[in-house]
Amino acid sequence: MKKIARILFFAITVLAAFGLVLSCGGKKEAGAQAAAEKKVKAGFVYIGPAGDYGWTYAHEQGRQFVVKEFPWLETVSVESVPEGDAVRFIDRLVQEQKVDVVFTTSFGYIDDTVKAAEKYKDTMFFHCSGFKRAPNLGNYMGDMYQIYYLNGLMAGALTKSDKIGYVAAFPIPELFRHMNAFALGVKETNPKARVHVKWIYAWYGPDKAREAAEALVAEGCDTLAFTEDTPTVIEVAQEHTAKGKTIRSFSHYSPMQQYGKDSVVSGQLTDWGVLYKKILQDYRDGKLTDLSNYDLLWFMKEGAVELGGTWTDRINPAYVEPLKAVKVKSAAFGEIPVYDLVMKRYDQMKQGREVFDPFTGPIKDQKGNIVIPAGQIASIPHIFLEMMYQVDNFATPLPQQK
Amino acid sequence: MRFESVPRAGTSRVLEILAPALSLLAGLAAVGLVFLLKGLNPLFALGEIFRSSFGSVFGLTETVTKALPLILVGSGLALTFQAKFWNIGAESQLLLGAVFSTWVGLTWGPSLPGPVIVPLMFLAGFLGGALWGMIPAALKIRLGINEVISTLMLNYIAAELVKFLVVGPWKGASKHGYPYTDDLPAQAILWLFPGTRISPILLVLAPAAAATLTFLIFRTRFGYEVRVIGENREAARYAGIDFFRTSLLFMAVSGGLAGLAGTGELTAIHHHLSYPDTLSAGYGFTAIIVAWLGRLNPLLVMVSGVFLAGIIVGGDAIQMSLGLPAVTVQVFNGIILIFLIMGEFFLRNRIRWVRRTPRHG
Repeated sequence: MKKIARILFFAITVLAAFGLVLSCGGKKEAGAQAAAEKKVKAGFVYIGPAGDYGWTYAHEQGRQFVVKEFPWLETVSVESVPEGDAVRFIDRLVQEQKVDVVFTTSFGYIDDTVKAAEKYKDTMFFHCSGFKRAPNLGNYMGDMYQIYYLNGLMAGALTKSDKIGYVAAFPIPELFRHMNAFALGVKETNPKARVHVKWIYAWYGPDKAREAAEALVAEGCDTLAFTEDTPTVIEVAQEHTAKGKTIRSFSHYSPMQQYGKDSVVSGQLTDWGVLYKKILQDYRDGKLTDLSNYDLLWFMKEGAVELGGTWTDRINPAYVEPLKAVKVKSAAFGEIPVYDLVMKRYDQMKQGREVFDPFTGPIKDQKGNIVIPAGQIASIPHIFLEMMYQVDNFATPLPQQK
Repeated sequence: MRFESVPRAGTSRVLEILAPALSLLAGLAAVGLVFLLKGLNPLFALGEIFRSSFGSVFGLTETVTKALPLILVGSGLALTFQAKFWNIGAESQLLLGAVFSTWVGLTWGPSLPGPVIVPLMFLAGFLGGALWGMIPAALKIRLGINEVISTLMLNYIAAELVKFLVVGPWKGASKHGYPYTDDLPAQAILWLFPGTRISPILLVLAPAAAATLTFLIFRTRFGYEVRVIGENREAARYAGIDFFRTSLLFMAVSGGLAGLAGTGELTAIHHHLSYPDTLSAGYGFTAIIVAWLGRLNPLLVMVSGVFLAGIIVGGDAIQMSLGLPAVTVQVFNGIILIFLIMGEFFLRNRIRWVRRTPRHG
């Protein structure tokens, strides 16, 4: 036992000495930093790896954009932070990295961000896609449900099997908003088609997404859309298409058309750069003193979201002719090629929600209940907080809810 | 020409201390090479890791937060490894502990006061881990099923069970559709030192468990039997040691301690059951290395637990301060551990270079 006690003592002494030496070094460095010119330092908390080529990649592009834009801005980012374990990373960003602003970029960080904002009153927090606010906690979101609707129009027009597959992350309002907008688009151009859903319970889950996409194809779906943070679903669709079985797909968050040249019809894109620019500029100018009502929610009108599988083509050139060839009867425009319908709706929504919105009643859920009354445009709280249902052209029942 | 390893007859005390220290240095040098390839100053990067885990109050508190579960699990593993029973399933025993405590916390938490519900949850955690741990022991002694396989496979079963619970029957009504259970009631959540994630209960529990296990292993009849089973199975059999009873018992203790770590993570950190990888961060696996580095002695496990916790914390930190991708951290941890294990090997074995000897025929 004496021997052990001695080893213990030795090890603890070494560790302590090591720590002491290094901590002294650290302090000097911090002092030097304070002496440098005053800067804004922002921390970004990411849900996936920055190279996921989806959601997190899009945020990373936004971060790089503002870094180039603002010479006074310094940023720190941390990736692959699990939901439910963000606290330790936020603690470190605030206590060790001394950031002024923290962006938490996934809905699941909501409770951790609220806790952090209570703990660190002098730091400003911005939670992406959430709804809880405090004097130092605001929300921001570039939402693409309008774009989803446009993609739904195209999916409905192009499907031959009338079965459209959807690989979905988590059954939360954000997903239902996007999936319902997509399904409403499908319904407008193809009332017979049904949307089939597979839930994978992960934002970043290429293996699960592949399994789900293959299963949907095996069940007869010839068109795939998804909410997951990698181009996996597109790769699956492209593989089948290359083998002679055309599976159409829609890109998500980042320009993924390069992964499915023959398969991708169009997609949703978000430009987080413009949102980060606005928030950081306002912060720098001292305009953000109380965030209790701060909810920067941008749509097509503000240029936060765009239609396309690349930043240059709204629709893959390979699919422009097929979409022009399909004609539908539209209540608003009469008989019209789907391509023109997409462009007209695009222009309308670009002008604002009040000109046209996909969530205009009457809209029924799967049980046949009217969820949005005739003639009404759904309120923002309805589509952002309360939407926990699927509209009536989904084939798959809701996952278990309580 | 070939190399041959020969067990060393004995090792000196100096070597016992020098070997891990030297392998650590060699490992750090190898990691430094990786940093160099990424275009970073290796000394600065390495300094940053240890500065951020041991060099500030915040870093130290985070290191202790991570060390506590590692010490709990590692002490238990030291016991089973003494018997040469390779329990690779501490991760699943930890999860089962969390599952049992979640059930107790959510079912009885709302109607019982804190001083009653918290001990009950720890008891349930121990029970959950112990029961799960006894399965492979029974399988091995009664049916001769290799415990490496059974404990390893039980990890997957436990992980799927947790996923099933949080996606299905236990999914919380207050969690916006996410796969978490509801939060435990306030009285079932441990008080933490302000500004940290350290609970005084766990801060006492982990070292107490390590001390008790040291006593158990080196000072009791049970511990003696465990060690005899490990040293010489035939002698143990001859001496009339009941393998079944002893194996069940040491796996109950080892699994139970892992279960306590699960309860601790649940009530101090997460407050609800969620996906297995969020809940545990691989403590059950890291603790295997902790136990070995600690020479299968729970008192030393306290040191190796703190050290490995420091590496994990420092790894998280350099992701931020140096802008390295998250996987660099895993590369770093992997390299250090390989060197430490190699050091252990060279300490126990001598390597001889053997010239080809002429053979007949």
